[in-house]
Amino acid sequence: MATFELYRRSTIGMCLTETLDEMVSNGILSPELAIQVLVQFDKSMTEALETQVKSKVSIKGHLHTYRFCDNVWTFILQDAVFKSDECQENVSRVKIVACDSKLLTQ
Amino acid sequence: MATSSTSNVYIHVIEDVINKVRDEFVNNGGPGESVLSELQGLWEMKMMQAGAILGPIDRSAAAKSAPGGPNPVHDLNVPYEGTEEYETPTADMLFPPTPLQTPMPTPLPGMAQTPLPGTAQTPGTAQTPSDSFLFNIPTGGTPITPNEYSSGNDNGSVPDVKPGPGRPSQFMQPPQTLVNQRPRLDVNVAYVENREEGDRGGSQQPATQDFFLMGGGKRKRDEFPSQYPNGGGYIPQQDGASGSISDEVKVGFGNSALSLGNSATSGAGTSIREGRLFSNASQLDGPIADPYDDELSTPSIYNYQGAANEDYNIVNTPATNEIQAATPAAAIPNDIPDDDDDEPLNEDDDDDELDDVEQGEDLNTSHLVLAQFDKVTRTKSRWKCTLKDGVMHINNKDILFNKATGEFEF
Repeated sequence: MATFELYRRSTIGMCLTETLDEMVSNGILSPELAIQVLVQFDKSMTEALETQVKSKVSIKGHLHTYRFCDNVWTFILQDAVFKSDECQENVSRVKIVACDSKLLTQ
Repeated sequence: MATSSTSNVYIHVIEDVINKVRDEFVNNGGPGESVLSELQGLWEMKMMQAGAILGPIDRSAAAKSAPGGPNPVHDLNVPYEGTEEYETPTADMLFPPTPLQTPMPTPLPGMAQTPLPGTAQTPGTAQTPSDSFLFNIPTGGTPITPNEYSSGNDNGSVPDVKPGPGRPSQFMQPPQTLVNQRPRLDVNVAYVENREEGDRGGSQQPATQDFFLMGGGKRKRDEFPSQYPNGGGYIPQQDGASGSISDEVKVGFGNSALSLGNSATSGAGTSIREGRLFSNASQLDGPIADPYDDELSTPSIYNYQGAANEDYNIVNTPATNEIQAATPAAAIPNDIPDDDDDEPLNEDDDDDELDDVEQGEDLNTSHLVLAQFDKVTRTKSRWKCTLKDGVMHINNKDILFNKATGEFEF
């Protein structure tokens, strides 16, 4: 199963990475096993987002920068508005990083 | 709200990862269930600190999964278990083994003293069968213990330590002959041994003193050896060996720094030289001068060494830590200008072309959306995109979405 390392930059991914770094640097955990944990996180996170999350969001804003490189879209929005069923968030600057979903299905 | 649902998903992910990695931890010679639970505990703790997981929900989840509850306990236990293991076996070893091994003691005492830091007590106890051995052993252990790890780790100290064990072996032999006299020395020997030993043999006193002196010098190798040459007048004996080593090290550092600096090689060299000159000129600066050298050399290699040394110091010797802590504070103001001179050149070179926009965004906006895109289209300046399976961190909130539609104007 193909996975993205994309989600490692999320809050939960960063927390896991920090934890693994500490445990590896302390000699508690081997680097190889730490990488296995990260790979499993990639799978679990992708699966959870597919199966556990139902919400929809609409995003509007001024597109400051767009970039498409290595099948990854990067958008930088200014004065963006995020609307979901539950809340609305206004952000002066936000970065969107999106991988190609077709890569997972192939 | 959204955060609660996000929290539930995060907890689900954590449990899923932990459960699916368990085989790797438990089987195939893995670190075991305790390490896995520690991983989960640290992970959840960080998540709670980040506000990504809500406290009460986490507890319920922890209660559901057995490892969740004991996690914090494991964190505390790990260090304690280590100490307990060391202490308990020694106590057990003391009584039973001693009678058996006692007949062969003489070669052993030397062995016992060499490993002193970790195992000193066990061999001593083993040999204890005769009262004299008991007294001798504690004496050897007491002076050594303060310096223990620093001496063993440092190369310079090693030679000194070796003669130490040889000497104690000599001492051990006479006590065997003098078994009757030993009871007199019993209590006093343990604490005042150095004095009494000095009375017996002149060689013994210097050995003990050397250990103490070396302990200070050894721990601080990186920093102090340079200090001593600077303030050579203060402690000449320590400076002799350590000073030469430090000089060589400095040269090595200088080279590494030069290689690292792209265009500033000449400047770096001058700065380093200047630092040396200053250090030499102001002996009072001794502690300050050393940090210069360390920081200048810091690039990569020295950081590791410094870290290792710090760890040893922290564990073994609080006193040295205080000294070191004081020195860097004084040094920092002086060091900063040097670093500024060297680093800005490199940093600017790297940053100018690529990162200006991104840096500003990264620094100013922690808002980030991570997702997969199904389709991205553009009509003139109007962009439309459909995203799925996304994680957003916006305004310090984590929001997950299954689908998202974006409409942007460029």
